[in-house]
Amino acid sequence: MSQYDDVWLVIPAYNEGQVIADVVEGARKTFPNIVVVDDGSGDDSAKHIMETGAHLVRHPVNLGQGAALQTGLAYALAQPGAKYFATFDADGQHQTADVEKMVALLREGDTDVVLGSRFIEQNGQVPWIKRVVLRTAATVSPTARKLKLTDAHNGLRVMNREAAGRLRITMNGMAHASEIVSFLAGSDLRVAELPVDILYTDYSRAKGQSLINGVNIIFDISLRERSRR
Amino acid sequence: MKFFWIQLVLILGSVTLAFMFIRRWDRANTRAWKRIAFSVFVLVNIYAVLRPTDVTWLAHQLGVGRGTDLVLYVMVLAMGFLTLNTFLRFRSLEKKLTDLARTVAINEGARLNEERFDLDLPISAPVDRSKA
Repeated sequence: MSQYDDVWLVIPAYNEGQVIADVVEGARKTFPNIVVVDDGSGDDSAKHIMETGAHLVRHPVNLGQGAALQTGLAYALAQPGAKYFATFDADGQHQTADVEKMVALLREGDTDVVLGSRFIEQNGQVPWIKRVVLRTAATVSPTARKLKLTDAHNGLRVMNREAAGRLRITMNGMAHASEIVSFLAGSDLRVAELPVDILYTDYSRAKGQSLINGVNIIFDISLRERSRR
Repeated sequence: MKFFWIQLVLILGSVTLAFMFIRRWDRANTRAWKRIAFSVFVLVNIYAVLRPTDVTWLAHQLGVGRGTDLVLYVMVLAMGFLTLNTFLRFRSLEKKLTDLARTVAINEGARLNEERFDLDLPISAPVDRSKA
């Protein structure tokens, strides 16, 4: 029994066989409940996940990170006793200590969603070019501005049942981050940001979002805005 | 600037395209319209092959030099509609595929994890079945 029995970590994984077991076992020291969504990986990710104590859900085909998150949330929501849901990266760049802080804030009951931010405290770890682009994205995005967010594209989020149950991620690819922010802005959910530390290891740098993929995200988003109803 | 009717036709066509893009169209309704458009297209084709001079005449009326040019313009528009149609179809297929894969993944996962951890979990999980 742990004080975090009501917290579920949702970890989307795509070809993370190298690190996934370590990340999951590391996180399980604090959070006993983890569901890893293997997003149709071509490597041995599933095998490594099976060796851990995490729940494994496998997409039969690769759908994208947004789809994997939605699947993981749906799975976690169906688990008995689940109250808080955290989205966590598979490449080891997020810290469980940050999730603990975020859960603590949610437990106070004045917030429905807590988003991680790399920019509230200047920790100097974010590569400068990334910092400029992400800050610009947060400043330019009308929805992020409405919520007064400093970081619109952080993968670390914790939400309560209410928020997780209402969230419907339809952007299968990487545009889901913006989709989540605009969903939050359009809802009456209470959103807060907490500073988090991101470990930019060589591995996560190599696996992470290249800035050029931002073009894809902008394109996806603009199509979605335009095709809404 | 001199006004040509063809300009109106092309602009209207483009605006319709943009409009279709913004609006969520009613499927059955648009399918019927697409079929009508296709039938008209075939009939016009046959007519144009039988009487090519009429196409040139129509082109002149619209302010286009040659019948061939008119055909080209119409083709560009048709191409636009086709692309849009394919795009929308693909997106709706992608949504269906996602729902399907998610349902499979969750059900399989529930069974698998139940065995692995010797749990007693409810197998059915909520999956969003709302229309794309």
